[in-house]
Amino acid sequence: MNYVPGTASLIDDIDKKHLVLLRDGRTLIGYLRSIDQFANLVFHQTVERIHVGKKFGDIPRGIFIVRGENVVLLGEIDVEKPCDAVLQQVSIEEILEEQRLQQQAKQETEKVKIAALKDRGLSIPKADNLDEY
Amino acid sequence: KGNLTEEESHRDPSPQWPENGGDWSDGEDGTNMDCGLLQAMAEEDEEINVYNEETFGMDLDAHKTTQDPSNGGLLQFREPPPPPLTTPPPPPDPKQSSRHSSLSPPRQRPQYLPRAPPGQRGRGRGQRGGLGRGQMFEDPAVMRIVEGRPSLKVMQYNCLKCGIQAHSSPHCRGFRFPMNRPCPSTPQSLTPKMMQLRFGANSPRPSSFYSPSSNPLQHFRYPGPVTQLHPQHKRLLSQKQRIYQRKPEDWDPYCNFMTTKEKEWITKLQMIQLQSENPYHEDYYYQEYYRRIEAKMAEEELGIRSRREPPKLTTPYITKTDAYAPVVHIEGSLGQVAVSTCYSPRRAISAVNAEQKCIRQQRLEVLSKIEKLFMVLLEVEETERMKTTVLSEAEERRLTEKSQEKVEHIYFQLQHHNSLDSGVEFLPFLLVSKGKKLLARLLPFLKHDTTLKILSTVTSNLPTLMSRDPEEALPVLYLPLRNAIGGLTFSQLIGVLKDLTSSESLTTYESLTLTCQNKFGLSLLYALLSQGEKLLSSGVPLEPSIGDFESWTDTIFQVAGQLSQCSLVEPLLLPSNLLTLFCRYLDKRTVHQLKSNIESTTGFLALAS
Repeated sequence: MNYVPGTASLIDDIDKKHLVLLRDGRTLIGYLRSIDQFANLVFHQTVERIHVGKKFGDIPRGIFIVRGENVVLLGEIDVEKPCDAVLQQVSIEEILEEQRLQQQAKQETEKVKIAALKDRGLSIPKADNLDEY
Repeated sequence: KGNLTEEESHRDPSPQWPENGGDWSDGEDGTNMDCGLLQAMAEEDEEINVYNEETFGMDLDAHKTTQDPSNGGLLQFREPPPPPLTTPPPPPDPKQSSRHSSLSPPRQRPQYLPRAPPGQRGRGRGQRGGLGRGQMFEDPAVMRIVEGRPSLKVMQYNCLKCGIQAHSSPHCRGFRFPMNRPCPSTPQSLTPKMMQLRFGANSPRPSSFYSPSSNPLQHFRYPGPVTQLHPQHKRLLSQKQRIYQRKPEDWDPYCNFMTTKEKEWITKLQMIQLQSENPYHEDYYYQEYYRRIEAKMAEEELGIRSRREPPKLTTPYITKTDAYAPVVHIEGSLGQVAVSTCYSPRRAISAVNAEQKCIRQQRLEVLSKIEKLFMVLLEVEETERMKTTVLSEAEERRLTEKSQEKVEHIYFQLQHHNSLDSGVEFLPFLLVSKGKKLLARLLPFLKHDTTLKILSTVTSNLPTLMSRDPEEALPVLYLPLRNAIGGLTFSQLIGVLKDLTSSESLTTYESLTLTCQNKFGLSLLYALLSQGEKLLSSGVPLEPSIGDFESWTDTIFQVAGQLSQCSLVEPLLLPSNLLTLFCRYLDKRTVHQLKSNIESTTGFLALAS
């Protein structure tokens, strides 16, 4: 029960199934078991879900402790709702392979883009330093 | 590897470490505890428990164990003893057990395991089989092995240091906040004891055994002394708690890993951070929200339907003409501006007209000043609100003094805007709508002679103020000025009326015409006349100066002339004694004409003489 309505509290989310998106892009699904004042999260029966296109794969991870500052968003999963029919679950090996291919393709296009920009005398700053701002 | 008795090796194979963690316990056999460091840590632990109890009022079961002096090297237990487990240790290698069965555990590791005095075993431990736990732990990092849910208190204490800022408020009774160095949000380096709690053998694990706190219908009492809720909020919460009932969840074997106490602790922590000395100032929207709910409920209870509708937001109608600028033209630039593109970058012309800059600068200064003074005014109003609470005399005096200083500061700042410019006092601020609001809210705090000054300024510059008031913010000044007028003597009143009627650029006729056609101006005029009438009819000796009465009667005639002829607007307030005033000096016909003219604007009858 939230004692200060209009504020956010994770207490009501305890013991419920959640999906959390982390800052490094990972998606975890698990039961939220414990929290603290920094919104550090303890997940139980965690699964890391990788999506590539319409396919996804689940890697079981067990117990996960997530440091609060790394959470982008967190949401409860309705266990009663029927699963998405559009997405297709595949094996872990397959999804990892798909992911690798996706990363490769991305890097290729990035290379081409940078080369094109270089020709025009421009450069785009890398996204990883933007975190500081 | 481990040393096990025959009977233990016959037990069922159990899940691997750490799943069978529940059956670990202190060695039954006397393992010596001669580590002075452990002793010190245990003592510190007890102090921490006491501190936490006092701060958070947690009723801990550990009372029993804290008082026990022989409870030397053991951590406190918070939970009542779990029922005995029968899960045995991991199955030993049959070959090994036969080989090592002769070894005794204490001799293997005398320096690591604490002594378990015979009478002081952890609860439930006696019920377990005689497991030589020492031999289960080959890990030299394990310094001490205890049973039960590890106490979060140690972690809490450190978290407390991290999470709470030192809050030195005299109103926070009895809170002893650790006034430490400011703790960064990253956790402090862990002591060995802490490490062992968080990682390793005694890390919190899902309740694989029955936990008494897994009752679905938990009583969630809201954290007591640390909360600072609005009384209306408290009432609503207590109502909600009565009807609140957690829906019986499908049994989740891992549920309630986080105990109610822990949840309450987090909530308390969050509530502490909401505490403040000055809630109306720092948490305005929360306070206002509950104040409104309270007001609404009070109204409903009394059965009064509010006659006053909630103030409607009036936005001035500003016609925005679609200005199509075929050519980009910056003010003050000469001709067209060169557009810079990525193929031909060019610096923009930065020359600005000096005169315009000055005006703009001055206006910005005025606005900036208004903002700063508003903050001070808010503090003054807050102090005023606080005075209604019970305070000691000395405190009240001190607050009043401070408040007065602030008021004087604001007044002085408003009076002397620009030391170089010998402009009119207050006027630059009065021309800004927020400045009007500032003055309106400041007036109640000023003494009579200062309010008189402001009143004079307003009346002297009334035409300017009325013409330069696009947002129609002047009415905000009406009430405070009317209160000020109520304290005027006859001479002062005459002075003010003179200011109003005589202007440098306009004739009296023109001034009065403008006044009558402006809501604020007309209301102010009425208020002044009403005050005059009040003074005349009160019987108090007027002590007029020479020429006062003549001015007075002159003004009356002039005003009467205006009021009867030109079209009037509806005033903010129509004083009831106006007609009485006019009856003194004017003939019946004129009065009647005046009456009908005034009434036509207000929609309700002016009081008949």
